[in-house]
Amino acid sequence: MAESPARTAFAEEALTHLDTLYRGALRLTRDPDQAQDLVQEAYLRALRYQHSYQPGTNMKAWLFAIMRNLFWDRFKGSRKEDVSLDDVGEFVLYDKLRDEGAKPEADVLDKLAASEVVAAVEKLPPLHREVVLLVDVEGFSYKDAAQTLGVPIGTVMSRLHRARQQLQRSLYDYAVESGIVRASGTSQVPQQ
Amino acid sequence: MNCSDCKDKLDRYVDRELNNTEVLELKLHLEGCPPCADHYEFQAHLKRLVKVSCDRDKVPAAFREKLRQILL
Repeated sequence: MAESPARTAFAEEALTHLDTLYRGALRLTRDPDQAQDLVQEAYLRALRYQHSYQPGTNMKAWLFAIMRNLFWDRFKGSRKEDVSLDDVGEFVLYDKLRDEGAKPEADVLDKLAASEVVAAVEKLPPLHREVVLLVDVEGFSYKDAAQTLGVPIGTVMSRLHRARQQLQRSLYDYAVESGIVRASGTSQVPQQ
Repeated sequence: MNCSDCKDKLDRYVDRELNNTEVLELKLHLEGCPPCADHYEFQAHLKRLVKVSCDRDKVPAAFREKLRQILL
């Protein structure tokens, strides 16, 4: 089917953000097939609502908002129980390690496999996971993240903070399981 | 600025969300406070680690092509 030049140009521009959308979909759905379905549906919806996009504004944020809204439409049923994250305290991983004289970055963070970090991100409840995806992975400002998610900036900040504490907790557990640290928090790496 | 103020602003500093005055105040505190500087290094490192780890996933070529076929 021959498309209008305007529509084709819009689609071309939208496709430059495919990496961001796919990564986001993959982390949200945790399944490559579902991620592809979600991204495809998001692009089709974006083209359908092309008229509501204001040229010159943040297209990546606009597309991501369409995708995450579709995601939440699909998983609406699980939304309620997903909202909260328990407060796990401040600097969990850091605190557990620094008192033992370890260098948390060099001795622990650098030894975590990327797959373990991704698993820790995917373990976050979706409402917290999407904030980490936008701010930490895609580099969104708090303002853009708030607009994308339809929440106040303060909510972005509090979800992000909670998510990071939870990430540290998960990564500490992984570090113990994989033998990088002992359960007491002592790094097994010889100290200088 | 004391350590408590610094801790409150650390997320925003790591995320480059502080204004210039706040950045200067926080930098000054970090220079004179090794424990807070260590906290900052750790938080910044964790943020980089999350990005690098999640960035590894690439769009499958077949899916990219399929989308182009559908959309263009």
